Amino acid sequence: MSISRPRRSRLATIAALVAASVLVAGCNAVNLLRPPAAVTAQGHEISNLYDIVFAIAVVVFVLVEGLIVFAVVRYRRKPTDSSLPPQIHGNNVLEVIWTVIPTVLVAVMFLFSYESLNKVDAVANTTDVRIRAVASQFQWAFEYLAPDGQTVLFEQLAPEMTVPVSRTVHLSLRSKDVIHAFYVPQFLFKRDVVPGRENVFEFNVDAADAGQTFSGQCAELCGVYHDTMLFKVHALSPEAYDVWLQQQIATAKATPAPAASAAAGQTQLDLSAANIAYDRTALEAPAGQPFSIKFQNNDPAVTHNVAIKDASGQEVFRGEIFPGVDVRTYPIPALAAGTYGFSCSVHPNMTGTLTVK
Amino acid sequence: MATTALTPAYAGRRAGLYDWLTTTDHKKIGILYLLNSFVLFFVGGMFALVVRLELAQPGLQFLKESTYNQAFTIHASLMIFLFIIPILAGFGNYIVPLMIGAPDMAFPRINALSFWMLPLAALLMLSGFLTDGGAAAAGWTSYSPLAQAKYSGVGTDLWIVAVLLIGTSSILGAINFLVTIFKMRAPGMTMFRLPIMVWTMIVTSLLVLLATPVLASALIMLFIDRNYGGHFFDPATGGNAILWQNVFWFYSHPAVYIMILPAMGIISEVLPVFSRKPLFGYKAFIFATAGIGALGFSVWAHHMFTTGAVYLPFFSFMTFLIAIPTGVKMFNWIATLFRGQLTFSTPLLFALGFLTMFLIGGINGAFSAAVPVDFALHDTYWVVAHLHYVLFGGSVFGVFAGLYYWFPKMFGRMLNETLGKIHFVLMFIGFNLTFFPMHILGLEGMPRRIANYAPGQADWTALNLLATVGGFTIALSMLPFLWNVLVSLRSGPLAGDDPWEGNTLEWATSSPPPPYNFDRLPEIRSERPVFDVRHGTGKGGAH
Repeated sequence: MSISRPRRSRLATIAALVAASVLVAGCNAVNLLRPPAAVTAQGHEISNLYDIVFAIAVVVFVLVEGLIVFAVVRYRRKPTDSSLPPQIHGNNVLEVIWTVIPTVLVAVMFLFSYESLNKVDAVANTTDVRIRAVASQFQWAFEYLAPDGQTVLFEQLAPEMTVPVSRTVHLSLRSKDVIHAFYVPQFLFKRDVVPGRENVFEFNVDAADAGQTFSGQCAELCGVYHDTMLFKVHALSPEAYDVWLQQQIATAKATPAPAASAAAGQTQLDLSAANIAYDRTALEAPAGQPFSIKFQNNDPAVTHNVAIKDASGQEVFRGEIFPGVDVRTYPIPALAAGTYGFSCSVHPNMTGTLTVK
Repeated sequence: MATTALTPAYAGRRAGLYDWLTTTDHKKIGILYLLNSFVLFFVGGMFALVVRLELAQPGLQFLKESTYNQAFTIHASLMIFLFIIPILAGFGNYIVPLMIGAPDMAFPRINALSFWMLPLAALLMLSGFLTDGGAAAAGWTSYSPLAQAKYSGVGTDLWIVAVLLIGTSSILGAINFLVTIFKMRAPGMTMFRLPIMVWTMIVTSLLVLLATPVLASALIMLFIDRNYGGHFFDPATGGNAILWQNVFWFYSHPAVYIMILPAMGIISEVLPVFSRKPLFGYKAFIFATAGIGALGFSVWAHHMFTTGAVYLPFFSFMTFLIAIPTGVKMFNWIATLFRGQLTFSTPLLFALGFLTMFLIGGINGAFSAAVPVDFALHDTYWVVAHLHYVLFGGSVFGVFAGLYYWFPKMFGRMLNETLGKIHFVLMFIGFNLTFFPMHILGLEGMPRRIANYAPGQADWTALNLLATVGGFTIALSMLPFLWNVLVSLRSGPLAGDDPWEGNTLEWATSSPPPPYNFDRLPEIRSERPVFDVRHGTGKGGAH
């Protein structure tokens, strides 16, 4: 007994230290191991379900890992252990207990997730805001549909979807080639874009998020440049959305202006794109006078353009997005001297620097 | 228990390399399986390091996207099809006949054939790198239409043929295991005295037998699609893209259990020996193993929750159910440790590593069973974390537990304990550094299988760097392991017949065992015949 007493207290100290560090680590981990703040009604639902599952998971983890650590610390073989420990072959009561308790736990988790699924997956099909995301290698486009769900009001070739907050948005997904997945982390949601079938889902962006922009990305391996399939979701107030929608429809109806040909004596820069990359990453143009960029898109069926942003990130020019193989000449307005960035609106990773002097 | 004197003459005695190339001895074939699998483990590991190196920082530093996609596709294909599945079959090959007191596998030549298909398959798969389009790059899941001829090169054809060969090898092996176990058990070795390792091989073999032919037919259909204008899986020609996922996962989910059950079997052998106690709940283990195997066939579509093409509540429910038999096993393992006398030799350390890591892999899997949560987590790095906690934290730790445990039996010499412990500590730390941050990456929305990510996400850069450091720590942990094996093979201390005070029949013969394994067997009256002999308990295993 005189030997086992100090050992007991040392064991207790170790156990207390382990428990304390687990607690501290646990509190930090709780913050790290939570999904981003949801911005849709459906996302909040998923976030709540996550919290329930997470709470159960933490309890189970601490309990079971605690048992393992306890056994490892407590039942190490001592030099005095010469005879065998008790040869226990099992215990049916225990077997029943640790069958029944997990059964109850998973039943609870299933019921919560079933209930949540019915809300998240509900498609009422009554809304007027109908958008179709069209995915192809390696770009997103968004078609805005009339309330009939068929007529295309206009097509947004840039990978940017604009939606009203508060209203239900009905999104259908169409693929032109392989499987993609529409994924917005802050929606806590993704849905595959499968060729040969049109998946639909509905979501409601929170009213408080009007004016916000959320990043999205293809989440299903879709080929070589899968990592470049980014998109953005802009949330507008319902009023601002209606105004924006009418503007876009009007622009789409107007006959496109004839392609401007470079005026005599004007500087023309040559740029081309292939394999989701520009051939040059540096361009130079004269300050204070209009110039043009002759842009050759060599990627078959892939859409590109050239957009120019000033040092503050403000877009000063956006050229027409068009599929390859084709060529466009963009007329660029006069720019003040300085360093600008140019990029493809469809593939934000295609970038370069435009020096105006 | 010297056995050499009475060993019957080995009919096909041949010399050196020629003997290894032509052997039908299950022990040599088992060692060949291990060797081949470890070589491919290191090759697959190199691809993982390439992937981690590229992801350490945003931007593309070392690879083009196309090369990156080949790297992770071949990494996963090697690790799954040519490392974990075969190495567990290798352990089974070596140990099952010994454990049941049989002289060899039932069909020794088919056994050799099963093995030799694997190096051939590996060469075929890797030869994709020599073709114009490079190796297969559609992921180890080869989803159609991406895996169709329009989108991927001849590397994918080589991948298909390689996986077909591996599948054929698995099926032949499964038949061999089942016949061996059902027909060649020693007198007294009843079904309820079989070591749990043997039971896991029974269930695994049944899974292989029922599931692998489905994969084989799917692969053949894909091959026809690609080369002869079939219309199975390509919607552009009237096929169905989701059909591929259904048939692929009908195999590949049970395959997860093919990859974990034998590792669970290894753990169930190691824990009792190093606790000096019988396995707690022997029969519960058998029922739980069978339960996992049976349920394993009804959860395949939980890989497809976001396709919009499966009946979600059913697959969600069945997936949750699998937690129950798995939990039963976990609690029985822990109960085996309780009131035992634990000796922390390297095999036990790896077994404990298995318990703690597999626990996390089980728990983070439950998140994806809750379908709406899976909508958030699917195809993100969370899933990468989950599958590695199961297949690396679980299966690979189990593989190393088994290797450190049976190495003395296989080669007659002990491995160095200090090097073994260094290996364990480095690998344990490296593993968690690599894969734990991936939970956070996944929650923050980083999709898997992307070669590049935006630099703006400060967290992503830090977490990816951490994972890369962890990946190289795992690689580093292989150095003491390799050194240990090479040195111990030549000059490790002699092991003797039974260095660990084992329970099962392989410890009743010499190390290494002679051809045909035994000249005489102890009486088998429980699931621990060697324990009974040592302690004169006779009925030590009676319940």
